[in-house]
Amino acid sequence: MNQDKYLTISALTKYLKFKFDTDEHLRTVFLKGEISNFKAHTSGHFYFSLKDENSKINAIMFATNAKKVNFMPTEGMKVFVAGRISIYEATGGYQIYIDKMEQDGIGDLYIAFEKLKQDLAKEGLFDPAHKKPIPKFPVRVGIVTAPTGAAIKDILSTIKRRFPICETILFPALVQGENAAADIAKKIDMAADYQIDTLIVGRGGGSIEDLWPFNEEIVARAIYHSKIPIISAVGHEIDYTISDFVSDLRAPTPTGAAEIAVPNMVDLISHIEQLKIRLKESVLSKLNYNKLLLDSMKSSYVIKTPMVMYENKQQKIDLMLSKLKTLMEHKIEASKKTLEFLSKSHILVQPQHIYEPKMVALKQIIEKLELLNPMGVLKRGYTLTYQNGQLVQSIHDVGNEPIEIKFYDGIIVAKEIEKVEQ
Amino acid sequence: MAEKKFEEKMKELETIIDELENGNTDLEESIQKYTKAMKLVKECDDKLKQIEEQVNKIVLENGELSDFNIES
Repeated sequence: MNQDKYLTISALTKYLKFKFDTDEHLRTVFLKGEISNFKAHTSGHFYFSLKDENSKINAIMFATNAKKVNFMPTEGMKVFVAGRISIYEATGGYQIYIDKMEQDGIGDLYIAFEKLKQDLAKEGLFDPAHKKPIPKFPVRVGIVTAPTGAAIKDILSTIKRRFPICETILFPALVQGENAAADIAKKIDMAADYQIDTLIVGRGGGSIEDLWPFNEEIVARAIYHSKIPIISAVGHEIDYTISDFVSDLRAPTPTGAAEIAVPNMVDLISHIEQLKIRLKESVLSKLNYNKLLLDSMKSSYVIKTPMVMYENKQQKIDLMLSKLKTLMEHKIEASKKTLEFLSKSHILVQPQHIYEPKMVALKQIIEKLELLNPMGVLKRGYTLTYQNGQLVQSIHDVGNEPIEIKFYDGIIVAKEIEKVEQ
Repeated sequence: MAEKKFEEKMKELETIIDELENGNTDLEESIQKYTKAMKLVKECDDKLKQIEEQVNKIVLENGELSDFNIES
């Protein structure tokens, strides 16, 4: 017998598990059904089955997810679940590993919630401009919540611890069930008559149905119309209700609301102490600055020795005077020197040196001129001959008329003329 | 409301200190402001220290106030 073709159970189961785990359609499955055989293990895990008329599937919800289920699952309860399908190898059974579980009917609530939220938003009930500031130092804080339970306890103890001088007034209200919404709204309206500075409206954690009154329109409108600033504190941090959207401020929890509503007395006192210090220091530093300024002015040279101002001026005048004197002396000295130099000059001492050479030159020129004078030529024995007043230069120019011969000292008139050509 | 006065006083006090710290006020004005601020400090301090611890109240169905004690 060939044993090789026989698989082990483990191998088969591993193979099947692999098939389940890699199938996309089985990774996220949404199922609705009825709870049966419900068991909440001490470890926090839930073990149960989901069934309908014909079929059944085993279900497991691990503690981390089971913790988030805000209702107690009971036998026969109709639920919606989301999870993945896989195989538990030890039993070979397939089962759903649930991540999230909600009660049937919640879907309807969710739709109602969304619709109301949208309507009220459109109407402007969540408008940030309508939100009132929360007073920092309230004298009287009002609380609309149940007179018993963790919420009121947390709020009162927190206020007492932080700001014991604050008055608290509780407006006891039903916070779950059919009549809760109307009662909450009525108590919010009532608070208007009690000189309340801040109103906390809320309750502790619970299922979505438990919190539902805070999703009702009547509560939303009462919050919106309140003249008193309202802090909402409904359930846990993860829970959001319509009240949270309408109120002036949302606190994550009732304790959180009390922390927002009142300051911490110790912080406040130390803050005032700080302000006191800052105040003193700011004025002291101003005073010191002014004192220093005054001191430095008082000790300034001018204030201490006022004569200095006068002395300075006098000194300046003296300086200018001596400068002026020196300048004038220089000027006079220079002028004297110039005069002395001029008086010793060549021209003034021997003026003939200037004109003597000129006289000699003149004499020479005169002598030259003498030489050029035609009369001078006559003196040397030459004569000039004229006929009819014209100078005669050739015998051919001479007619029969008498001629005049000019000597240097007179004229001879010749009447008889004989021409001898040479 | 007395409470409003406290809040306003705190605000005024802080404003004065800011002004003084910025140093734009002259000496005479500074001293006036200082005197005023010190008065405000005293008033705020007294307010916090003198008021006795308040008793919790509850509004009854008929609208009357009654002392309220929660079992702890």
